Amino acid sequence: MATVLEISGMRKQFGGVVALAGVDVTIKSDEILGIIGPNGSGKTTLFNAVCGVYRPDAGQVRWNGADITGKTAFEIGRLGIGRTFQQAMSFPSLSVRENVQIAIEHGSARRDAATQRWSTPEDLLGFVGLEGFADESASSMPFGNLRRLGVAVALGGRPSQLLLDEPAAGLNDAESAELVQLFRRVHQLGVGVCVIDHHVQMMAELCRHLIVLHFGNKIADGPTEAVVRDAKVIEVYLGAQS
Amino acid sequence: MAQWGRRLNKQSSAAAAVALTQPPVRKTRGGVHPSRELIIVTAVVVVAVLALPWMHPGYRLLSFAVTTCLTAIVLYGMAVPFGQAGIMSLGYAGLMGFGAYTAAILSRDLGMNMWQAMPFSALVAALFAGLFGLPSLRISGHHFAITTWVMCELLRITLVNGGKFTGAATGLDLPPTGKAFGLDMDKLANAYLLVAAFMLLSMLATYLIANSRYGRTLRSIRENEQLARSIGVNTDLHKLIAFMVSGVFAGIAGDLQAYSFRHISPDLYGGAVSMYFALMVMLGGPRTLFGPLTGALIVTFLPEVMRIDPIDSRIAYGVALIAVIMLLPGGIIAVTERGYQWLKGAARRARRGVSPPDVDSSPA
Repeated sequence: MATVLEISGMRKQFGGVVALAGVDVTIKSDEILGIIGPNGSGKTTLFNAVCGVYRPDAGQVRWNGADITGKTAFEIGRLGIGRTFQQAMSFPSLSVRENVQIAIEHGSARRDAATQRWSTPEDLLGFVGLEGFADESASSMPFGNLRRLGVAVALGGRPSQLLLDEPAAGLNDAESAELVQLFRRVHQLGVGVCVIDHHVQMMAELCRHLIVLHFGNKIADGPTEAVVRDAKVIEVYLGAQS
Repeated sequence: MAQWGRRLNKQSSAAAAVALTQPPVRKTRGGVHPSRELIIVTAVVVVAVLALPWMHPGYRLLSFAVTTCLTAIVLYGMAVPFGQAGIMSLGYAGLMGFGAYTAAILSRDLGMNMWQAMPFSALVAALFAGLFGLPSLRISGHHFAITTWVMCELLRITLVNGGKFTGAATGLDLPPTGKAFGLDMDKLANAYLLVAAFMLLSMLATYLIANSRYGRTLRSIRENEQLARSIGVNTDLHKLIAFMVSGVFAGIAGDLQAYSFRHISPDLYGGAVSMYFALMVMLGGPRTLFGPLTGALIVTFLPEVMRIDPIDSRIAYGVALIAVIMLLPGGIIAVTERGYQWLKGAARRARRGVSPPDVDSSPA
């Protein structure tokens, strides 16, 4: 079943800095959405405001029509909105198996054919390509695997919508390409995927739909081919890269 | 305190979760299967603890053993929020005090005996443990530890100024325990057996909690609170429950203590005693099965065995605490365990050393 996460008029200010100046974003689970923008454009703040890490100053978050603005982080997790973190988080001194076991034992109430595939730690670790690492402690794994573990923990919570915060940061091209494949498979199994990154090439490959944020404002929203050719986007973001 | 906790987290890692959780514990579908070593050591400890009265220990040593067991019950409770959820609190003498004073007041006003008072002692201490734990939802690390220490001192001051109700600075007296299980509990050896049995039960309870699904939930809070919340763990609720569980241990220990000593007074339950509890649990190691017992043993017996002056011993404890944090993160037992695993590995390597080299290392 397709789900819809609607963010409207989202505003968040830190002191004098306006991180989000009233942003509207609609995340549909039947398409892979990418949100790009330079550092400080408000991407992570958007996720944090949706996921209950921050309370937005103004604006509304609707999940399948229901208002979920201001719910706490764990309530959002239980509703089926899973996320990963920019800093590749894990439960460092626990084994990889226990890391995903915790997620499986909590998370959302979703039970269907897709989540059935991740119902045991072994299945889940196999799905993300971490078979054979179950007994290692999370902190002893190389960074690329830690990124995968982050995705596995989020999937363990049986999300309907996954919000990925710079999932490929710090990875080389081969590792990023593998992650792109992983996210495609996750999406094919009926989990909405929304990715934040500023790796434009990867995003263009992964996402059909792109949104561009710049200083807390949305400056583009549409099909990937159109967005990457948009003059304003090239000027403020892509242009700065070349 | 935050740094101490973090050091514990960083260095002890999976290896130190040892005796209480993970490596020696093989998990299968059927439940938890402790390693052979753990079973042997546990059997030796249980026999040694229960056999003590028959070794003609003498009155003084036996009364120290009673204190050790009472303390260890509290420490096994502390091991739940501190060892598993990673939150250090300095209020446990106070929680023990709630248990003890509940027992004494129920005895005086309603004529309840030790057994009748026990559930009330546990309940009152658990409720106050939840109250002591409330600030942990907003502050963490040493800030939180200090608030719990303050609450403990407030309790002591309240008890001193409680007039007839709390017996003020003099405290309260309790009647003899009487008979239990056909044994006269007013004989020290029998009283020891009773508290020793409760100590072993609390050890078992902590082991079962640590190895349950709930233990895992608490560890997720210790390891990464933000990540835990993102997958739906109600971290605030579980922190308070962990505190309340530890309060049950402290309350029962207080009830047992009140009847063992038959006289309680506020200075047993002040902030200084709480500090000793924290020292003991860190010294032994909050995440290991025998850590709390070892910590209680060392701190109770060492000054007696070495005949150290009380003032000197406090200095020694301060030095010991810093030494443990610097040199033995995870506590004495965790380090011993790691040493044992290392020796085992070394022995295995030595045996393999005489056999021909691996195929992998031979030239292609």
